[in-house]
Amino acid sequence: MSTRWQRVLSIATLCAAVTMGFGGAAVTAAPMSGMTDAKAAGLRVTLDTLLQEHAYLAAMATGAALGGRQADFKAAAGALDQNSIALSTTIGSVYGAGAEQAFLPLWRKHIGFIVDYTAGLAAKNKMQQDKAVSDLIGYTKDFGAFLHSANPSLSADAVADLVKEHVLTLKVVIDEQAAGHPMAASQALRAAAAHMQMIGDTLAAAIVAQFPDKFAQLQ
Amino acid sequence: MRCLVGAGVVLVAALPEFAMADMAPRPVTIQTFQFQPAQIEIAAGTPVTWTNTDEIEHTVTSGTPEHRTPMFNASLKGPGAAFSVTFSKPGTYVYFCDRHHFMQGQITVK
Repeated sequence: MSTRWQRVLSIATLCAAVTMGFGGAAVTAAPMSGMTDAKAAGLRVTLDTLLQEHAYLAAMATGAALGGRQADFKAAAGALDQNSIALSTTIGSVYGAGAEQAFLPLWRKHIGFIVDYTAGLAAKNKMQQDKAVSDLIGYTKDFGAFLHSANPSLSADAVADLVKEHVLTLKVVIDEQAAGHPMAASQALRAAAAHMQMIGDTLAAAIVAQFPDKFAQLQ
Repeated sequence: MRCLVGAGVVLVAALPEFAMADMAPRPVTIQTFQFQPAQIEIAAGTPVTWTNTDEIEHTVTSGTPEHRTPMFNASLKGPGAAFSVTFSKPGTYVYFCDRHHFMQGQITVK
């Protein structure tokens, strides 16, 4: 079996495991129903929306930067940071102010590496590009460790793999933008945005399993 | 006797450093990319022990990212890794994680 399919299966297994309370929560009679309860569904929708928005805004920013459109870049970068703040607020609503304050600079760090990669492409500086990619790959381990620490049912390696896929799919978008291939860039962006739902769904399921009382449907 | 005992109690109470000094190590837990607690106050001579619970390397580096000091710089590579420093002189000591600069802490030594 190819390594890509092995990774897809391992992530799917992880999603099923956390949904069924494999991390230690009690298994209910309808283990999949948790994600349809209003609060749980609301969390999933919030995370999916914000993470997909992240992908689109990042692409807007990198496209503007590569196109030399400074005003557009500034606007997109500003909106991207607002998105980062919204994500950290969502994390904080679950894990508290300390986690929120740690999440934001950590999340912003990977955006900085994406900016470095884009700048490297614009300058045709291979060394800068390679360093940025190396930094991004290293970052995935940090992010995996962060979420695993917040939620032990989330494997650090599995989260790192999900974020790595995010980084690599977004890299394709940026590469196509730099190459002046708008059609290919747009298609790649659809794929990059779609992947963010995997991260959002996995994270939401794990949080709901971790705090079943917090996300129980009010009767 | 009561007066003597009373005087003794007053005498001890007048020496708060002697009576209140706590030499047991004060723990700081590194968890979810935070120093917990981020700010502590200790008596001079008290050791502080940092213990990493995250599955990633953190450092405990004296100073700030912009201005490091040579007092201490320890790498805690993973869960269970620990590091101790005894603070002998009163003052305020800041520190940070050199891998994640947003992680910062402060120790006030009385």
